[in-house]
Amino acid sequence: MGSVLAASSPPPPGSGVVQGAPGLVSAPPGFSMPSVPPPSVPGQPAGETGSPLPNPGTYEECHRKCKEVFPIQMEGVRLVVNKGLSNHFQVSHTVTLSTLAESGYRFGATYVGTQQTGPAESFPVMVGDMDNTGSLNAQVIHQLTSAVRSKIAIQTQQHKFVNWQCDMEYRGDDFTSAVTLGNPDVLLGSGIIVAHYLQSISPALALGGELVYHRRPGEEGAVTSLMGRYTGNNYVATLTLGGAGAHATYYHRANDQLQLGVEFEGSMRTQETAVSFGYQLDLPKANLLFKGSVDSNWVVGAVLEKKLLPLPLSLALGAFLNQKKNKFQCGFNVTVG
Amino acid sequence: MAGIEELSPAAGPVETRPPEGEIDEDEDEELDETILERLWGLTEMFPDTLRSAAEVTASGSVTVAKKLYSFSRAALWVGTTSFMILVLPVVFETERLQLEQQQLQQQRQILLGPNAGMSGGMPGLMPPAPVKM
Repeated sequence: MGSVLAASSPPPPGSGVVQGAPGLVSAPPGFSMPSVPPPSVPGQPAGETGSPLPNPGTYEECHRKCKEVFPIQMEGVRLVVNKGLSNHFQVSHTVTLSTLAESGYRFGATYVGTQQTGPAESFPVMVGDMDNTGSLNAQVIHQLTSAVRSKIAIQTQQHKFVNWQCDMEYRGDDFTSAVTLGNPDVLLGSGIIVAHYLQSISPALALGGELVYHRRPGEEGAVTSLMGRYTGNNYVATLTLGGAGAHATYYHRANDQLQLGVEFEGSMRTQETAVSFGYQLDLPKANLLFKGSVDSNWVVGAVLEKKLLPLPLSLALGAFLNQKKNKFQCGFNVTVG
Repeated sequence: MAGIEELSPAAGPVETRPPEGEIDEDEDEELDETILERLWGLTEMFPDTLRSAAEVTASGSVTVAKKLYSFSRAALWVGTTSFMILVLPVVFETERLQLEQQQLQQQRQILLGPNAGMSGGMPGLMPPAPVKM
């Protein structure tokens, strides 16, 4: 939890995800860059000689489209109240009651600045939230120049700093590169450096690589991995191969109501593989969003989200069942505002 | 009693007849074999291969029946719970939506007359007629 490598995994469920107020970038206080508008449609004809390749997006986003189709495991009761105090400032209160983990209260605040770079993006973005035990998560994201975006994030557990990282991303015409420096400690001589590079080879194909170098007093090591992403008409296929294992995802949009995702993950460290299949059903007429998933570990799960419309209320019910171990977990979220 | 010999199972089917012609009850009491053992003894007339094949078949089919039973129990449970989690909520919600839409349509029909308000209904089936009060 909290390692810089978590930058490639989906953000922690629900904790202070900002939504609703116009002009805000959804920036969950995990360690992932906010989702940016998708790159231009592949194959779009350009008016110049030698049609330029589109910018491929960031390295972390490649697997995200498929991961968003899968439901998240919910446990206990969560009440989230979001209140927008102005166009730039939003506050959220979260009360979590749970049987397996600690119950608590979390206060979150989001500030979005005035420098507007696009229809849905404004910078700087400052997101922070604090727990009732005093644990703080904070992120500041700023667009330094038109092509360079930078992020600083810290995470503490009560008073102790658990994670502090700085991130810089450069977007070129047809490539994106990013460098992340995680938990640098000059006194101990330890830290983690992650470098990403993603290049558009053709309007549909993007290839990239990642290099992770970590150092502690006494040991150092590096892990590299390569990634390829192919975007078709209504599907996206991504493959990541590296020293730590293989990860392949396939996302398919069947029609405007149904989206499917298949994910294959194999790890060298634990010598295990897993396949999961997920689907998302979107019925705006019934104000319903349903996500279900079936796993090769005999885990079946689903999340149902319903907007109770006259009030700005939304209810999410989740259930996860592990058939092999016969363990069941269910929970529900109520979001106000 | 002295005339009755001990019967061994390998002796093959043997008719026992008390030499003194005692009544049947005594015969049944003094014989050390139950009916089932006597019936089992009858199977010894078949050759060994047939007997072993029949035994293997019988025990195999009992095992298969047990496995099939436990498999179908587990499959039924897994299938039912997975269907309940993955499919049932969507089915409930779409049925509710359909009912609501039907109700709305009925209300609109009552309010505005039978031909108006048929949004998305069958066009051209009923020609629009003026509503007379």
